[in-house]
Amino acid sequence: MRKGTIPVILFLLPAALVFAVFFYWPLLQNFYLSFFQWNMISPNMKLVGLDNYIEILTSPELVKILVNTVLFIVILLIFNFFLPYIYSYILGHLVQRCNFIYRAILFMPSIISLAVASIIFLWIYNPLAGPLSIVLNSIGLESPRWFKDSFLVIVALSTIIGWKVFGYNLIVMLAAMVAVPKEMIEAAKLENASNWLIFKKIILPMTSPTAVYVFTITVVFGLQYVLVPVNMLTQGGPDQASSNLVYIVYQYGFVFFQTGKAAAFAILTMLCYGVFLWAKTKFLDKKVHYEN
Amino acid sequence: MKTRFKDEVLWHLPLLAAVFFQLWPLIFMASTSLKDLDQIFISTLNPLPLPPTLDNYRAIIGNFPILTYVFNTFVIAFFVTLLKIGTSILAAFAFVYYDFKGKEQIFNGMLLTFFIPITVVLMPNYLFLSKLDLLNTSIGVILPQMADGMGIFLMRQTIRSIPKALLEAAILEGAGAITVLRRVVLPLIRPTAIAMTIFFFINSWNEYFWPLLVLQDKENYTLPLALQMFISAEGGSEWGIAMAVAMLTSLPPLLLYLLCQKYILSTFMQSGVKG
Repeated sequence: MRKGTIPVILFLLPAALVFAVFFYWPLLQNFYLSFFQWNMISPNMKLVGLDNYIEILTSPELVKILVNTVLFIVILLIFNFFLPYIYSYILGHLVQRCNFIYRAILFMPSIISLAVASIIFLWIYNPLAGPLSIVLNSIGLESPRWFKDSFLVIVALSTIIGWKVFGYNLIVMLAAMVAVPKEMIEAAKLENASNWLIFKKIILPMTSPTAVYVFTITVVFGLQYVLVPVNMLTQGGPDQASSNLVYIVYQYGFVFFQTGKAAAFAILTMLCYGVFLWAKTKFLDKKVHYEN
Repeated sequence: MKTRFKDEVLWHLPLLAAVFFQLWPLIFMASTSLKDLDQIFISTLNPLPLPPTLDNYRAIIGNFPILTYVFNTFVIAFFVTLLKIGTSILAAFAFVYYDFKGKEQIFNGMLLTFFIPITVVLMPNYLFLSKLDLLNTSIGVILPQMADGMGIFLMRQTIRSIPKALLEAAILEGAGAITVLRRVVLPLIRPTAIAMTIFFFINSWNEYFWPLLVLQDKENYTLPLALQMFISAEGGSEWGIAMAVAMLTSLPPLLLYLLCQKYILSTFMQSGVKG
């Protein structure tokens, strides 16, 4: 390994500069903005101390936002963590025929823009003439107004992300599945171990590092991906029922023009992300079995 | 060891169900874009547009500056991809080739940016760009996206897998860092670099949120932003046209994917394996 301070700086500078200016500096600037009352346009910023924090922490809205966030996460985990996990086991160990075709097709939605996905699903969920309503009508049910109901809106929005991200997470998970030595499984089969036992005793422990990774990106990115359909289709509505911890920052900044509260929410969001990533490192990473 | 067909046949059922759910919305988009209004509302579920019509495509080309949107999207995606690849390779190379203080901390600091939610940095970046007078320009969209934490991570993984002996041999022959990078490293990381290029390009092509804030005038829109214009609350009736724009937005990524499937799938598969 070579030494040399100047070349290191030169090689790292382009990336470091971008991260410093557009990621870390803004994070700090949020602290500054969060102590002021401002609307982004007026030349006067009013120093209000901790008022923004007190207001957001005591507002009933916060509870709603947190509950929504948890609901989003739970549904996203079903579509983008549990299902890909099970399917990667099927594709990695139980099915050999057409394997590559399955992978190629299941991955396909991952390359579609969320803006496109949103518009397709807006039509699919259309309660008057959309295809889902026709299917529901044909079995004697009436289509709910998906994007107007305070619970169903979260389900409907999450399925859009579920559809798009499922294949990606499946492929990432599959890499870990196929890395489990076939000989181990063959040996277990010779001992007449059931698929379930093989799954529990061999697959589960050996794929846990990647599973933790997929779990993490499902939570961390899921909430961000959901911004696109939320903004395109509901703008957080009805009555904030589809807003979440990540979208609320955007709402306060660019819809309500309350920079101070937006910045305070941004700090709170970062704090939650920080706690999540810390907890993941502390509790999950310790329990998993790492190869190296 | 090949399993017998009857052992695995049952497992094809859940897979086929998943294929249906993953594929159907895409087929639906394609077929709706080729239907006229009557067919859209009368034979909604029929995947075949009978007879197919290009009217929706004619309408978007005739009534909207759609080619400008295609051009805008391409320019942004092109430069974002080029810059991300460049900065990722340079940084990743330094992390493998050199030994320096705080290496792990700097690397983690860069990787961490990958997890920062976009809305958290949205407002300060917006204010900063408005100070630079770069709002409403492609440069404003490109600027904050010139580096990528995940790109650096993946590149470092790839460069690390190059046998040390190869690098040492080049160094013994008196090659400087730039020569090692150009002559030894670059040829060996080409497959990953290509797959990452495709990945960055598709992501940038598809991007919605940041361009939405920066680009305000309609003539500067990218395709994903243009899609927003075709959503008219509930009960909108221009579904054929909306799906045609959606198709145009999806075609370049789909073509890239179909052409480079194996590259993409294998690189994505590596991305989750920790090291």
